[in-house]
Amino acid sequence: MSQPVIVGDHVAEVKELPPPDRRRIKAHKWLTEKRMEDYRGRESKGFELYISKLAEEKIRNHALEHAFERKEVMGLLLGGMYRHNGLEYALVRDVATTDLDATDVSVRFDPRAFEKLFASLEEVGFRYVIVGWYHSHPSYHCFMSSTDVQTQRLMFNLRGHSAIVIDPINKEIEAFYLEEGKVRSRPFAIYWDEYQSPYYGTPVRMRDVGPSEGDLGAGA
Amino acid sequence: MTIKVKVRNAETGSTVDMEMENENTMSEIVQGAAGYWKKEAGAYVLRRGKKLLRGSQTVLEVGLKDDDEVELIPDPEGGYRAPPF
Repeated sequence: MSQPVIVGDHVAEVKELPPPDRRRIKAHKWLTEKRMEDYRGRESKGFELYISKLAEEKIRNHALEHAFERKEVMGLLLGGMYRHNGLEYALVRDVATTDLDATDVSVRFDPRAFEKLFASLEEVGFRYVIVGWYHSHPSYHCFMSSTDVQTQRLMFNLRGHSAIVIDPINKEIEAFYLEEGKVRSRPFAIYWDEYQSPYYGTPVRMRDVGPSEGDLGAGA
Repeated sequence: MTIKVKVRNAETGSTVDMEMENENTMSEIVQGAAGYWKKEAGAYVLRRGKKLLRGSQTVLEVGLKDDDEVELIPDPEGGYRAPPF
């Protein structure tokens, strides 16, 4: 019996797409002072990582849900890789997770729960690329442990891939990536689609206050 | 009988077309695709739709057909401490 043979391949293109408008991005409120400085330094150039408000809320809520049991949580970042004006960036539109095999110092998908993960991948509603992963460090701050770095090297070793680490106890979040085998911090922005704006659809009517004194004067 | 299946790399969106026999196992598919993309086969699982395709199962057993698409999904591990080496 012979082994399976590769008879063709198709390399996915990085599509040209402008990043989220600057009026629709914000720094994460859990950035440390140092990471906030990085954010400000990057704001005018554009970011290499944008996370939707929806994905950010899911990550934060997932981490908070298990914070007081001190259990780590984990999931996959779903989105796509794009390019604009020569800058490549990843857009995280949603996340997916499943039941976990977790302690306060380790986390993996429960091997019995892969089909639950796959069901959420099927239901995500767009042709995703897994642009990275997230996990929590409940109470011990944001950094990449040797286990985390090993995961990054094995699975998420492209420049565009990111690892988000969140500490729900200290209220910190940070994104990391690998560059020439070294772990680097990656400034990122939270974006929202127009319909996700809390004020979207709220009409703002100009109040009719009648002509001002100046207007009267001009007409006189 | 030989069939042709598309294997998708979920981390890039790239795909390969793979020819296989009914007796080939899911492990062989993962190894072939992971090797092509220079990945560690043990760090991935294979899915078709909502189904996990287990390593020891054959093409015949999982009912793979011509032009089916399967996807390599990473199985990450996070942790504070390094595992004992």
